[in-house]
Amino acid sequence: MTTPDTTPPATTTPTSTTPTSTTPTSTTPNSTTPSSTPGSGAPWWRRGAAGWTLDLFSSVKLGIWLLAILFVYSSIGSAGIVYPDFDAGTWNILDPENWAHDQLRQWRGLEMTEFEWFHWWPFDLMMILISVNIVVTTIRRIPFKPVNYGVWGIHAGIIVLVIGSFVYFGLKVEGDTPVARRRVVAEFDAVQADGSTKRERVEFVASPGQRVEVGEGARRTMFEVRGVDPAWELLTGDDKGKRTYSVTVAVEREGKRYLRQVLAGYPQLTEDLIFTADKTQPVKRSVKETGKPIYDEGLAMSLAYDPQEWFYLRNDLAKSWALYIRPKGATEWTQRPIDGLPLYNDYVSSRDHVFQSGGDDMLPVDPIDIEVGAVAADDPLKDVAFRVSGYLRYAIPRSRVADGGSNAPFNPIAMVEVASERGQKAAYRLIARDPQESRADEGLLRFVALENEQQLERFRRQPSIVVRIPAKDIEVREQIREVAAANPDAPFVEIKGSEVDGKAPYAYRVVNVQDAVPVAGGSVALAILEVRTPKGLFRRWVFDNPALTRDVKEVDASDAHGAPKLEDDSIDITFDPGNGLALVVIAHGPEEGRLRVVSAVGKDPVVTEVKERESAPIGGGVTVRVEQLFVRGVFETKPLVVPRAQRQRDAMETFAQMRVEVPGGEAFWMPFTRWVFDSERDALRRAPFEPRTVRLADGREVELLFSRQRLPLRTDVALDEFVLTSHMGGFTGEQGSIRDYKSRLRFRDGGEAGAWGDTVDVSVNNPVEHDGLWYFQAQWDPPDSRPREGEVMSAGLNYTVLGVGNREGVYTQLLGCCIAVAGMIYAFYVKPMIKRRRQAEVRASLGRKVES
Amino acid sequence: MSSTVHSNMSLSRMPRAAWVARWCALRGTVAMLALAALLFAPATGAAAAAAADDAEARPFAARVDLTPLATVAVQSDGRLKSLSSFSSETMAFVSGPRQVAGQSPLFTYLDMMFSPDAYRDKDVIFVKGAGPRARIADAVLAGNLLPATGARMEAFRKTGLISETLLSKPEVLAVLREMQSDLLRTAKTVDAIESALNVKDPRFLLSRLRMVPRGDGDPKQPWHGIAEVMFADGKELVPGAMLLLAEKAEPPSDIPEPSRAAVADAWKALVNSWLKADAAGVDAAAAALAAELPKIDPAGYPQRDRLAWEHWYFSNGHMTKTWLVYMAASILLLLGFVYRWPRARTAGFAVFAIAVALHTLAVMLRWYIAGRWPNSNMFEAVTTAAWFGAIGAIAIEWFVRRSAMYSMFALGAAVSAMVALMAAYFLPVQLNPSINNMMPVLHDVWLYIHTNVIIFSYVLIFMAAVSGVLYAGHRMFGGAASFARVGGAGSLIVAGPDGEARMTGTRAGLGEVLDGVTMVLMELSFVLLWAGIVMGAIWADHSWGRPWGWDPKEVFALNTFIVFALLVHVRLKVKDKGMWTAVLAVVGAAVMLFNWIVINFVITGLHSYA
Repeated sequence: MTTPDTTPPATTTPTSTTPTSTTPTSTTPNSTTPSSTPGSGAPWWRRGAAGWTLDLFSSVKLGIWLLAILFVYSSIGSAGIVYPDFDAGTWNILDPENWAHDQLRQWRGLEMTEFEWFHWWPFDLMMILISVNIVVTTIRRIPFKPVNYGVWGIHAGIIVLVIGSFVYFGLKVEGDTPVARRRVVAEFDAVQADGSTKRERVEFVASPGQRVEVGEGARRTMFEVRGVDPAWELLTGDDKGKRTYSVTVAVEREGKRYLRQVLAGYPQLTEDLIFTADKTQPVKRSVKETGKPIYDEGLAMSLAYDPQEWFYLRNDLAKSWALYIRPKGATEWTQRPIDGLPLYNDYVSSRDHVFQSGGDDMLPVDPIDIEVGAVAADDPLKDVAFRVSGYLRYAIPRSRVADGGSNAPFNPIAMVEVASERGQKAAYRLIARDPQESRADEGLLRFVALENEQQLERFRRQPSIVVRIPAKDIEVREQIREVAAANPDAPFVEIKGSEVDGKAPYAYRVVNVQDAVPVAGGSVALAILEVRTPKGLFRRWVFDNPALTRDVKEVDASDAHGAPKLEDDSIDITFDPGNGLALVVIAHGPEEGRLRVVSAVGKDPVVTEVKERESAPIGGGVTVRVEQLFVRGVFETKPLVVPRAQRQRDAMETFAQMRVEVPGGEAFWMPFTRWVFDSERDALRRAPFEPRTVRLADGREVELLFSRQRLPLRTDVALDEFVLTSHMGGFTGEQGSIRDYKSRLRFRDGGEAGAWGDTVDVSVNNPVEHDGLWYFQAQWDPPDSRPREGEVMSAGLNYTVLGVGNREGVYTQLLGCCIAVAGMIYAFYVKPMIKRRRQAEVRASLGRKVES
Repeated sequence: MSSTVHSNMSLSRMPRAAWVARWCALRGTVAMLALAALLFAPATGAAAAAAADDAEARPFAARVDLTPLATVAVQSDGRLKSLSSFSSETMAFVSGPRQVAGQSPLFTYLDMMFSPDAYRDKDVIFVKGAGPRARIADAVLAGNLLPATGARMEAFRKTGLISETLLSKPEVLAVLREMQSDLLRTAKTVDAIESALNVKDPRFLLSRLRMVPRGDGDPKQPWHGIAEVMFADGKELVPGAMLLLAEKAEPPSDIPEPSRAAVADAWKALVNSWLKADAAGVDAAAAALAAELPKIDPAGYPQRDRLAWEHWYFSNGHMTKTWLVYMAASILLLLGFVYRWPRARTAGFAVFAIAVALHTLAVMLRWYIAGRWPNSNMFEAVTTAAWFGAIGAIAIEWFVRRSAMYSMFALGAAVSAMVALMAAYFLPVQLNPSINNMMPVLHDVWLYIHTNVIIFSYVLIFMAAVSGVLYAGHRMFGGAASFARVGGAGSLIVAGPDGEARMTGTRAGLGEVLDGVTMVLMELSFVLLWAGIVMGAIWADHSWGRPWGWDPKEVFALNTFIVFALLVHVRLKVKDKGMWTAVLAVVGAAVMLFNWIVINFVITGLHSYA
């Protein structure tokens, strides 16, 4: 690859050694110069095809051209087409805004990853041509002698590198695998339907929020992982001060509710926490309350490794899509590779299959048709082939309302916009028949469907209560204006004339009003009152349905779900919810399409008749407008194709979907799943498990998952511990405070029967090899930065993601590189020294000649 | 040509003339030292001048002396920084590369925290990019035709600074929402504005001041925020302004009571004096605070020297102004080369030596401050590469000191370093100069081997392009199509049949000399680049699981190498070897820069940190 010593001086003849006519450097015989390639004197047809080919491959020019083509090929394959785009205004070339970029290899029809582009036949062909060119030229035109050792070295090194690379890339597999730290194993005696008991075993991964239920009714047992502390400090025992993995599981069974804490490696320290009536400390250690650390001895719980046996090939290296299938009820998945499924662009057979954002470029109709048939010998559904007819790179499932037509069931849905004078707007979608979705902003805005005119009357009234004391023949009606939940100092209202035997009169105050509390089969409204009678102070929950009204003791709200019970039946209260909490009620009906707005902003509710897209003022400069009304609304769920500009750049295939056609006619979109777990109990927090169940024409039910191809790890691997090391000051949540991630692994040779080996540490820049595969630290489980609604907060570190791959041929590659380096140093720095010595020799001999 | 040679010879024969020449060079050196002093000590000069003014007439910012506070340590992102460098990093989130009202970032930090209202309608929030600025300015002007606002928006378009009040106008909010939905083009700008607003929040500023060491010295636990200590009992009352920002909390128990009280008192006095604009009180409180904090954990507290140097380094713009010295050196060396003017060359060498000295100081200081060799972000890669070039040039110059190529490598290095330091000086947003901890993947011995070899080869490639451009210029102005008969290292040693140098320093030999220089640099970078790529592969093999991943950065390093491989082979085949070499050297440098700039900022891959 460097200057071979072939440069002929203009006036050299091969035999000339006279220093005046030649530089001493050109010691190469003239026969190696391009113009005098062996046999090149004769025209190519005389030399024959073989001779011509040989000459062609002895040409430096060919080498130059091949290198130039290689340069262009790798440039457009890697960077794509990058061109300046200075529309943004500044001429700062360091500003990414000033560059436009298009990846040629990702275009329709190519759909290639970098690995695939650099492993495509034109590239392979080019490498072969370059190699042949190097070999032929070197052998035929660069004599193997000391001055040329450098060039030979470089060229030989390149050839060895190319050979090593063919081996390396030809055999390369690379993927990733998630390994959870522990599973929870619970064993208990469960009462069967026939009254007998049976030992049950439940296993699930220790992941915050993981919830498992077995059995039904009274035999139901529920587990929920309430908290995981990845570094729990032991407070007792010989290992006091050490830290271990602690899992706290909420258990509900046989009428018992408690928390059980299990520690990895310390089964003897397992203990229960029980709920108490003590408000200051609602949860206490069982040992403190009952004297025994275990409250429920009928249930044994422990932590076990969660061995991983698969790794999943990386799509961003080479497309490796797969469809996973199993008959409903089976536990083992069977994979079917989906060859030819694209990666970067969207393919739909009809635009009706997807939603698109307004203003986005219209999706081209470009269907694909891939048959996904059985490949594996043990495929349980050999006779069934699925078809893939569409692919979306980046889409999210979205439901939209549409008019269902005259045959659709009555289901009024209103799209409402509330606007203020200052231009602030809020949009709502309200479904009249849905107790939750019919209201917005905590009930201030409500949409109802009237079946008759009388129903409207209710919304014309403010909520009110009627208090009756039959014994005294007292009846008080009062509109609810203030609730104690908002104003804790709200006074009790005394009922005049209700004094009994000189004691204080009856009194009450409204604590809270709740609209639409969901109950089985519908919703109810209720007012919670505090009532003071001669019998004492209690809370009364007054429902709009008087049959449900009950008194509730404060302490544990224990009576909230039982049969109605009254503390003091001498007082009778009824509740008329009226318009409840709603400031604005939009009413549809009773005639189809008729709309009215009831505004309770003022003192008395005002009813206004409105039409679609007509603004109705509700006071305070605020207007309400029904943008669109669907009387018979239906929901359509389709993938929404996210416009390119809004896609996360590093999302890779996370939001991909493919359209699967099931024999028998059903077709649907399936979102991509990163890893294929056996069940929800094995799924990790950030990788939900959502298989799709389909029914084949013959009635068989099949579960499907869309994921990546996977290969066995050869050896089971478990995660003993995951350690995050930080810089001074500890982990602060910022990336900059992290020093290293370390997975402490154990391998189990010999399948499930084998024993776990010693722990080995894998950290960044520090992989380990086991059974021919290398394991790298790839990703981690970060702690939640803020609590999310309805979810258990995670302290992270519950699993690791390891990179897994092989590296056949890597030492051959390295050898080639080293030979080449040595060759370069020789050619550039040793060769001139050799020449200098020769020069000195020539000069010395000249000097001798002159003397003689 | 002959006259140059003649004067050269006559100079060396006349002692007086030689003395004059040396004196000229010396004078150049003295002048440059003076320049350097001016470059890096503007603050002292200004302070001295200002002292003469009437103390009361000057603004509060100019009257307080925060120097003691500047060298107080703050814990941030797993590092201990000087308060001055910490505040300049934090303020960069608000005002980008701009300074607010000529105040030091430390003053602005404290003032923004103590009197946030004063900053509500002050143009302190930096918006990047002309496009976003224009859209925001249009939105501001949409409902406002006051001439003052127009002028303010003109200034905004130039400086990019705007106030919180203007940003929260409904018209502007609408534009920001729109910009946020375009993830590819403008979302980042809006994110930056949002983070500027968050950082500007006095509660945030207060919460980040982790400047109270732990009494127990536990390195795994974070230092305490000043707000945590604030409520410790002492003489002073907790200022009302602080009560609004922090909830009352129990002071940390690991700090002995007297220390807690002393620190809390100093802090409370600082705030109270600040709010009263009592400069003397602020000075006293700042000094007291700076004296009290290290006493809590004298062993664990960072050395004052390091903090002082860090303060100095940051307040002098990370010494990137050295580009001016390099520019002077480049001009002198170029004059010396083109006009065969030995005095200019000697002076150029002297100035170059000063520049390298300053540059070395900057690199060493950064090394000392960061506690690791500076090569793990863009700023460090660029400035360290330039430094390698300069040091490499000095080494090569020693080898070629008797050849006609003398001074050419210094010239190439001076130009490269000038460009690199200019980039660092003018583009602090792209080349972020703050010192942070390295990502875990960078903690590897191969970081030092691979990265430094690669950046060294890159700077050599750039230097080769400089001589290539000079060659092309030489040809454009009618120079002969000459080339080094034997390229590269060979050109240094090969002599003619009589032992005379084949390359002459004459005007006629200019092309040959320039081509020889390009080849020397090309050969060096050829070997280093290849070796660097291989070392990177070795690192990648154990870090990412594959020696070669066809990552854009890898491919373009290889592409740069392919260009040089082409150069070597093309040189065999063409007649006009000099011109081809020059052109391909420039192409190689262009590919290398494309890799560094476009690949880094546009097509980010695995190598996105540098």
